[in-house]
Amino acid sequence: MRGFSELNPAVLMLYYICVIGTAMFSMHPVIIILSFIGSAALLVTLEKRPHLKLHLSFFLLFLVMSLINPIWYHNGVTVLFVVNDSPITLEALLYGVFAAGMILGVLYRLRTFTMIMTADKLMYVFGRFSPKLSLILSMALRYVPLMRTQTGKIRRTQKALGIYRGDNIADTLKGEVRIFSIMATWSLENGIITADSMAARGYGEHRRTSFSIFRFGKGDILFLILCIIPTALIIWSFAAGEVNFSFYPAMSGISDSPLAVTCYAAYGFLSCLPIILEWKEELRWKYLMSKI
Amino acid sequence: MEILDVKDLNFTYPKAGSPTLKNISFSVNEGEFIAVCGATGSGKSTLLRLLKPELSPLGEISGSVSFCGKPVSQCRSASEIGFVMQDPEHQIVTDKVWHELAFGLENLGLPQKSIARRTAEMASYFGIGDKFDKNISELSGGQKQLINLASVMVTEPKLLILDEPTAQLDPITASDLINTVRKLNRDLSLTVLIVEHRLEDIIPVCDRLLIMDSGSIIEYGDPRDVISRIYDRPEIMRAMPAAARISAFLGEKNCALTVREGRELVRSYDNSRVLHTDHDDRKKTNNSEKTSPVLEFKDIYFRYERSLPDVLRGLTFSVYEREIFCILGGNGSGKTTTLGIASGIMKQYAGNVLVFGKKIKDYKNQSLYNECIALLPQDITTVFLRNTVREELEDADVDTSSLPFDLTPHLDKHPYDLSGGEKQLAALAKVLALKPKILLLDEPTKGLDAGAKNTIMELLRKLTDSGMTIIAVTHDVEFAADTADRCALFFRGEIVSDAPPEEFFSANSFYTTAASRITRGHFENCVTAGKAAELCMLNGKRGAE
Repeated sequence: MRGFSELNPAVLMLYYICVIGTAMFSMHPVIIILSFIGSAALLVTLEKRPHLKLHLSFFLLFLVMSLINPIWYHNGVTVLFVVNDSPITLEALLYGVFAAGMILGVLYRLRTFTMIMTADKLMYVFGRFSPKLSLILSMALRYVPLMRTQTGKIRRTQKALGIYRGDNIADTLKGEVRIFSIMATWSLENGIITADSMAARGYGEHRRTSFSIFRFGKGDILFLILCIIPTALIIWSFAAGEVNFSFYPAMSGISDSPLAVTCYAAYGFLSCLPIILEWKEELRWKYLMSKI
Repeated sequence: MEILDVKDLNFTYPKAGSPTLKNISFSVNEGEFIAVCGATGSGKSTLLRLLKPELSPLGEISGSVSFCGKPVSQCRSASEIGFVMQDPEHQIVTDKVWHELAFGLENLGLPQKSIARRTAEMASYFGIGDKFDKNISELSGGQKQLINLASVMVTEPKLLILDEPTAQLDPITASDLINTVRKLNRDLSLTVLIVEHRLEDIIPVCDRLLIMDSGSIIEYGDPRDVISRIYDRPEIMRAMPAAARISAFLGEKNCALTVREGRELVRSYDNSRVLHTDHDDRKKTNNSEKTSPVLEFKDIYFRYERSLPDVLRGLTFSVYEREIFCILGGNGSGKTTTLGIASGIMKQYAGNVLVFGKKIKDYKNQSLYNECIALLPQDITTVFLRNTVREELEDADVDTSSLPFDLTPHLDKHPYDLSGGEKQLAALAKVLALKPKILLLDEPTKGLDAGAKNTIMELLRKLTDSGMTIIAVTHDVEFAADTADRCALFFRGEIVSDAPPEEFFSANSFYTTAASRITRGHFENCVTAGKAAELCMLNGKRGAE
């Protein structure tokens, strides 16, 4: 099997829907912890250099979110202390911590999503619905940076010509308006060249097919199975009401029925599946390297 | 076998008074390499577009175009006739190299497997396999044009039409592209029709040369014969290779096309009587004066980002009043960056730039751009912001009557609709209104035909005569040899040699003009075709006495 990020984009998409979907609808502490561990480990593996600033800001977010809940909600039976006649309870504090942990887990997971699902992979997934949509997306992806560069170029040229001087706001504004309007002309002008080039290469003459460089192989099927079975188990146990957990007024205990334990295991597996794959690939690579 | 046959083709654009094409008849055999030339506005592009039904302009048309024996409109022309345009950037449709290559095949509705095979094959043939899943925006202009060519070739066309494919490229990538086209022509017996302004590389390899003038074909045939028949048309000869121009000046019956043939020709005139002529007077006075420098670079270091390598490393040079200083050098050697720093758009991290003896950062509140320095960028369209040339000039307070050239016929056109040379002139008009003392030009001759180039060269000389100093960054060695007072070679972020053009180009053996390569060893300090012919004349043909 290939590494996680090299799987077929449609399969990756399905995985993200499963893992985020189940994490978002559960406030069960075990699920939240497993979700956080899995996504944080994947993010750290994918980052070549750790973005310390990012992690710090995520941690601050986590602190703020965990503290807001006990300040505003005073439910719960275990009073820790009283501030301004309002009781701060252990239950509300833990609820805040786990809610923040759930959100952080999902945010980490989404961050890995943007790192793995590059524009061309997303386009492949959505392009399945229609070859035209995929072409439009691809053209947009090309056009936006092109337009940004051109605007920058125009701005520099005008600066070096010193025509729209930066020393008064009215003049600057006038210059910006002019740049905006010439960009509209520029887009139309170049749109004609692009349209010519498309027509010259036979666009619109036949029914289009959509080519992609992504393959759907045995590894993808295996991964699909490994992804769908645990998800089905999780949903089943959720539906059966075996993995409920309530914080208020007093915390309920963590269930240890066979179905609940299966669900924890299934979720742990699902959450850590990418990281297992990545590690497996690394080990295999090291082994192969040793033979060179 | 005849692949293309055009008979009595006439074409008039809607609302145009006179026809753009008049009685065009010619035929092309399979596997031929045809070069089409003519001044801007002679109808070359219109003719090429009429050969490709998908791109044919609307208008009144008579006559016939047949392709492989059938009228061209009944052919599968989308895949059988390939068309490459001038602008490398906007012909590209998608964002990835692989998608661009697959685009034409997707349009034909081919299945996944054959698209995979053909794109892979093309990528290997064009040597772009390693760029297959790159973003197109990461590629250089030359690579983009190569992708355009490859993405047309995937549908296996029988006829390839190229409309000034190298106009936006530097000379080295341009000749690479021409060589690739030549290779396709030889390997696949692909028929090629190519319009070009830069004929030095094309003429020696083409099978037939087609010359157009104001909507008609004036000559069509073997390039050697064709050129020897138009010796008396200086406006067309100007675009021809240096060897051909020397032959024309000398009235040689057998026209030389390549540097090798040119050398043979010059050898027959070399009887060591006169080896060099004096430099012309203008340059002499300029060099002897040695006025104070108007622009000085002192030990400049620059990089775009902290983690990137230096672009300029200890760059030091001075430019003196009323001179035309040309900076030559390969891509990415830092030429454009130098202009950016001189115009204050970019900031060096070490060293000083002095403009009229004052540090550039001491020019506060844009006073640097106030009757002092102006920069014309490479992409000249970025100069224009309005819908007509008239508004453009009014914005900049240009007095059209005081300009050294005439823009009145173009006042009501959109600046984007002007030809390359007209754009350059309109932009210059805008800049001249700022009354700069130092004018910085980035590739002023890019994409221009020989006539427009000549106009620009004469204009620049006029400007320096009236007291302006001009610094031009260019790839165009012929332009530098003709116009510059001093040339400098840029390499790895510094200037490695600088001298007047005669010395500069005679000392270089590769980075030099064709005329210099032709006369090397026979005449001294001769870098232009005109001078070479003059020396030949002064010497007289060997054995003629």
